[in-house]
Amino acid sequence: MSVMTSSAPRVRRMTLRRRRQVAGFLFALPAIALVVGFIGVPIGQAVYYSFTQWNGLTSTWIGPSTWAQAFHNSNLWTALENNALLLLAVPFALGLPLGIAVLLHQRVAGWRIFRSIYFLPTAISWVVLGLVAERFFAYQGTLNSIIHALGFSHVNTNMLGYESTALSALGITFVFTMIGTNTMLFLTGLATLDPSLEEAARIDGAGSWRIFRSITLPHLSRFIQLAFVMTVIALFSALFSLIFVMTGGGPGYATTTMEFLIYQTGFNQGDFGTAALYGLILFVLTGIVGVVQLRLIGSNE
Amino acid sequence: MTTLMTPPKESDSSNKSTRPSRASRSKVGRWVLFFAMMVIAVVMLYPFWVMIVTSLKSEAQFLAGQGFSWLSWKNLSATIPIGQEVLSSTIVCSASILIILVVGLPAGFAFSKLRFRTSTAVFLVIVSAMMVPLQAILMPEFVNVTKLGLTGGYFGAILVYAALGTPFSVFLFTTYFRGVPDELIEAGIVDGLSYFGALWRLVVPIAIPAIATVTVLQFIQIWDDLLVGLLFIQNTSERPITVGLAVLAAGRTTSIPELMAGSIISALPAMVVYLGFQRYLVKGLTMGIDR
Repeated sequence: MSVMTSSAPRVRRMTLRRRRQVAGFLFALPAIALVVGFIGVPIGQAVYYSFTQWNGLTSTWIGPSTWAQAFHNSNLWTALENNALLLLAVPFALGLPLGIAVLLHQRVAGWRIFRSIYFLPTAISWVVLGLVAERFFAYQGTLNSIIHALGFSHVNTNMLGYESTALSALGITFVFTMIGTNTMLFLTGLATLDPSLEEAARIDGAGSWRIFRSITLPHLSRFIQLAFVMTVIALFSALFSLIFVMTGGGPGYATTTMEFLIYQTGFNQGDFGTAALYGLILFVLTGIVGVVQLRLIGSNE
Repeated sequence: MTTLMTPPKESDSSNKSTRPSRASRSKVGRWVLFFAMMVIAVVMLYPFWVMIVTSLKSEAQFLAGQGFSWLSWKNLSATIPIGQEVLSSTIVCSASILIILVVGLPAGFAFSKLRFRTSTAVFLVIVSAMMVPLQAILMPEFVNVTKLGLTGGYFGAILVYAALGTPFSVFLFTTYFRGVPDELIEAGIVDGLSYFGALWRLVVPIAIPAIATVTVLQFIQIWDDLLVGLLFIQNTSERPITVGLAVLAAGRTTSIPELMAGSIISALPAMVVYLGFQRYLVKGLTMGIDR
């Protein structure tokens, strides 16, 4: 490099550029290797194994009929239906945090302490929150105590014990676990809102609700989109801990979602091939949501 | 400050009728607001209350619904190998985070400052890996890691956590380093620094906030995770604490007060990190949207 300084500046610049590119590639290589090896390759393998009968040790090629067979399995449809029903929790998982964030944003005395309290459950594992939720819904749990305190002493619920109510209990728990993260997102969004806008609208005679609808909500739209995507992805891929601790997928298959079905099919029934196939279905479902998020990030660059 | 209490002082002749009502509402409003916030606080503190109160009972007292004792805390280490499990969690967490940083920092530097041919495409591929849930590739992943003989100790779980955390860290570091002026790096190179030297001496010191964000987010994620620890650490004696608790809870035979005592211990480190580094967490969550 130092040899050709004066005689060939162009050559030197080329080699510098080349060196920078080589360095860049080498610097990126470990990350590429890790991601390709542990995420990319398994996707390819999952595609291959989805066409086979596979117990983890030996696999036999079956062909596309594995897919036809899978869609005749009622457990798959139950899991997909459970996932679809859980989507009903999403409006609550967004609406409640939005309300809480707006309350916090009013900044009454001690709002910082309230903020820390509201965010605190976010730090705890969903395993622990699932344990607590199980106590809440149990026959001798808090929910029944509340119902009795309200005067309905003969009413006793056991939501996790029945097929008709277990999924609702799971959904309620999910909403609770998402409150911290989503409130945090919305509060960050509100903090970037220019207060003089609100002031001006108020001077023009706009009421609180009008201001919320015409100024606050549009300003938050990007944050709401992001929270929506994160919530849906969590719904499809982060309920495992809650289900494992609270219901084990039961009663029956009442709380078996796609991700739990994959685990059960693979590790309880030893049917690795079908589990890999189910994994691909989940991959496509989250992929659809993921594309939406990538577009969000992309449109921001 | 408070938006509910900003009655405009002048230029208000047109809507006199609405003014007094708003002023009076704001005082009542503040109390309603405060009350609502207290109610929410009670709901959000409920898990902690359950954990603490339940752990202060013996199993008999828990079943009877009255009385308190330290019995469950005294018996805790006999039921749950709590020390070993906290140690396992600590080892797995620190090793995974270390790999995520060691791999993510140079990659972020490369994708922002040392761009090579196809680097944009490669970056996009890595970032889209963020969207792949582990469950989607669980079976091949499990068989691969088992075949490599890595499920015996901590190594399998560490590598899987590292791989799952890397896309986010690459994204965050790349975005962060784009804000570093090119001239800084060029000046360093002209002064005789190697690219590695530029990364280590010039970029990493500026990146401390981003490093903190990645560390805090990943710490909470990995410490609280169940699936990877459950499947990729086969030795029950090397289980992380979250896995140990979940397995005992799913078994339905362990005393619930002792499980709650264990839960408190498992929750403490993540809560301390959380309260101490809240702002880094917020930064990480809204990365790419809040600028």
